[in-house]
Amino acid sequence: MFKKLAAFSKRFFSGNQEPDGPVLESAAVETLRLTFKSRFHSFKLLLAANSRILEAMADMEKALQGKELFSMSFVQAHCTSISVNVFRMIADMENIAPGKYSALKERFIAIQRRIDGLLGAKKQLTERRLVIPLEAVTSDMTDLVGGKMASLGDVKNKLQMHVPAGFVITAVAHDVFMSADGLQREIDRLFQVAGSDEDRNLDLVSSQIRQRIMSAEVPESIYLAVVEAYTRMKEAANGQEIRMAVRSSAYGEDAENSSFAGQYRSELNVGFSQFFYYYKQVMASKYSVQAIAYKMNRGFRDEDIAMCVGCLAMVDAIAGGVIYTRNPLDTRDEAIYINSTWGLPKAVVDGNDLCDLFVVSRDDALTILRREVREKGYQFICYEDEGCIRTETATGQGSQPSLTDEQVQALADHAIQIEQYYETAQDIEWAIDAEGQISILQSRPLQQMEMVLPGPELDLRRFETAMVVEGGINASPGVASGTIFKVTKKVDILQFPEGAVLVVEQALPSWAPLVARAAAMISEQGGFAGHLANVAREFGIPALFGVTGAMTKVQNGDLVTVAADLGRVYLGCIAPLLEYKRPEPKLMIGSPVYESLKEVSRHIIPLHLLDPESRDFLPQNCQTFHDITRFIHEKAVLEMFSFGKDHSFSERSSKQLHYKVPMNWWILNLDDGFTHEINGKYVKLEDIASIPMRAFWDGFAAIPWDGPPAMDGKGMTSIMFRSTMNPALVPGLKSKYADRNYFMVSKNYCTLSSRLGYHFSTMEAMVSERSGENYLGFKFKGGAADFERCMGRVNFIREILERYGFRAVVNADNVDARMEGYDMDFMIDRLKILGYLTLHTRQLDMIMSNSALVNYYMAKLTKDIDSLISQ
Amino acid sequence: MLLVDDEDVFREATARQLTVRGFIVQTADCGKAALELVKNDPPEVVVLDQEMPGLLGSETFIEIKKINPLVEVIMLTGNTSVDNAIELMQLGTFDYLMKPINIDELLYKIEDAYTRKKLNEKQRQDADL
Repeated sequence: MFKKLAAFSKRFFSGNQEPDGPVLESAAVETLRLTFKSRFHSFKLLLAANSRILEAMADMEKALQGKELFSMSFVQAHCTSISVNVFRMIADMENIAPGKYSALKERFIAIQRRIDGLLGAKKQLTERRLVIPLEAVTSDMTDLVGGKMASLGDVKNKLQMHVPAGFVITAVAHDVFMSADGLQREIDRLFQVAGSDEDRNLDLVSSQIRQRIMSAEVPESIYLAVVEAYTRMKEAANGQEIRMAVRSSAYGEDAENSSFAGQYRSELNVGFSQFFYYYKQVMASKYSVQAIAYKMNRGFRDEDIAMCVGCLAMVDAIAGGVIYTRNPLDTRDEAIYINSTWGLPKAVVDGNDLCDLFVVSRDDALTILRREVREKGYQFICYEDEGCIRTETATGQGSQPSLTDEQVQALADHAIQIEQYYETAQDIEWAIDAEGQISILQSRPLQQMEMVLPGPELDLRRFETAMVVEGGINASPGVASGTIFKVTKKVDILQFPEGAVLVVEQALPSWAPLVARAAAMISEQGGFAGHLANVAREFGIPALFGVTGAMTKVQNGDLVTVAADLGRVYLGCIAPLLEYKRPEPKLMIGSPVYESLKEVSRHIIPLHLLDPESRDFLPQNCQTFHDITRFIHEKAVLEMFSFGKDHSFSERSSKQLHYKVPMNWWILNLDDGFTHEINGKYVKLEDIASIPMRAFWDGFAAIPWDGPPAMDGKGMTSIMFRSTMNPALVPGLKSKYADRNYFMVSKNYCTLSSRLGYHFSTMEAMVSERSGENYLGFKFKGGAADFERCMGRVNFIREILERYGFRAVVNADNVDARMEGYDMDFMIDRLKILGYLTLHTRQLDMIMSNSALVNYYMAKLTKDIDSLISQ
Repeated sequence: MLLVDDEDVFREATARQLTVRGFIVQTADCGKAALELVKNDPPEVVVLDQEMPGLLGSETFIEIKKINPLVEVIMLTGNTSVDNAIELMQLGTFDYLMKPINIDELLYKIEDAYTRKKLNEKQRQDADL
């Protein structure tokens, strides 16, 4: 059928072993050979599946440290991969020992159900309403209308403040929309296809998903519910057409510790004829590049975020902005901060332009403590028909304050009431129309941080000559160092290096995907009230905004130190300032994605079946997937090993290694591990074709053992005491420890169970041209010395193994090391190391209380190993 | 071997890479076309995408097994659902790979599936004797 497989098949089925002499084979022998071949093939598949599972579990454990970002796709893909491979192992085990371990399947199903339950867990809504008028919305409806609109509902209905008329298209509608025509399934698929490169393929995935949403039909039920709600609004406005602000109100958006600030789309001044187009735009914005990046960086699960959409009558604002009811950068400052500009508040929240700042005291008189009136060259205004535009302010208007003192105080009064109601600092978006009516458009919790200013102990004058920027607005406090990277267009995002200092002209929300990768941010425009500033504070990235001429003051590649609290940028890395750096927030830990991984891991990673000799080492005691794989691996090796004996099949019985003299090493050939079929009792080293066994032996035999290290009195007492307590430690006595050293080999596979002196080790290796399937596993346990010194040796070995690229873990008195995925030459070198260590760490536990000897042996062993692998 | 996937770019690129590595590859862009090929020129191994318009991969798999129960099938999917994966394995697919695939991994799976098929055929012949 195909060339390569034909050649492969010929090799596999003819066998490449020449028999020692002509042998008459009965049909029964032929059947046994075939059965063994089939079982060995299953054994190899089982080992490969086991290796993939261990690798996936190692990935999960690494992710659980919370230092790296991962998405729900990571959790899903790893769970699926592990489940499939555990299933594969059970199926292969069934072929190796038919009917013998059928209880495993029941355990698999039970564990799998628990994992399914955790992965499929999604908040169930009991409500069925697709659209809810704002008059009926309260803050306990967050699940249904999203945080933004739920909060606004209370401002309107409980605080009786002016909020434009409107309605919310609910989370129920979101589910109806996304489940129509398999839309959500298609989105999940696109994420999955992007795989671990989700971050790199972000643009493509985002654009594909948004296209799918934009080309989807709005389900009729949603359409009719919206038309009904709009018609009611229109009737209340005496039949006048109403232009709308269509705003995202995603579930999870605007929560206390996650702002989602500016990550989703809002459309202003939309006529009803275009309404559903913009509704879909807002829905699609859940998958904008910045929203996906934000979700990933903060560990939100896509399935947890329902995009509710708030629809409010548009306010034709003459001034608008954002109030911070407290200073976001100083918890001791009780003043109210009002950022304001001409026209719509969009200019303030988007961070495009400079705006006025009014700082108001919380006292009864609402004293205006500070007025910073800036040149506002641009404003956003509503078009007559539809949409809005950024336009120049009228001559002379830009330099005028955008609010009167009365308006400032009225806004401060609103701010205090809202804060008192929510009992926490708030970030409030507002607008004032031509009649002077104040409308509240949004209120969400405000995150506060402390500035970290160096005290008098640090003389800043020392660094003055290196200062390249002074001034600007501290948008997010902190100090950081990195090289400058200017971003002017979207495509620059792809080139942005990890840990660089981002420099932009405008502090636009669209730069948010870079926040998690940047060391610090500098912007020519924008203030501390913009979305990007919010995101920077959330991620703990220092940001200095409103820095005039920033783009020309620093150059790409310059190494700089940004001290946002001081409003300064210095050339070079100013180490004394970096001591004031904030600890990086571990945003993944505690996030929904992290918690999902943690929960499912409990059914996957812990190992309860530790001792194969124990009576409890049974399929029905497997509590996790790791237990199942551990059990199967142990039993599969034994089944393969005992095949020859169980079937009185001498071809598959073990042979004794003859290396100069007969040795206490026994070898079972699984398939093509010998150069030819061996009929006698002994096998010579040159008859062994197993690549991993030969490599191990090369390391084992390369350098003669110096003999036991000189023992001190304490060491001798310890061994005598332990031998008295545990007769199994005395060589020559028959016990489970007095087993022989066994290899099982094929050309590319080798497993070893060995006892040398008082320690036990197991080694397993798959080494072939298939680098992706190569792995080495090594376990080392025991010793005759006291526990402390046994532990000393185990850690000594771990240190050496880690030095040569192994992933090694110490549990109790054993070390468990593993590596996978390297090419054949690399693996062969590592096997030599294992062979060497197996011999040369004999009795080293005895000297572990003597640090000089420990250092001597560490130097000696490392030197030997280096010479071994350079050969 | 037969590669069945409705995504033209993926199918053609993968077929090309497998051909370079020495395989003789037939391709089909849907379940129906795949079944025709299986009837007329049964492959040893089928690599089958799950999400396709018309017949789904799992449905195509069942039909393939009806035509020739010994053909080994490797499923590809862009969907991470554990449920689906296990269901497909329980139906008797040889293995299950998630997109994006690693071409070497696919190659190993095809070799393994081929070996398994030949062993099954031999064992069946042996039992018949």
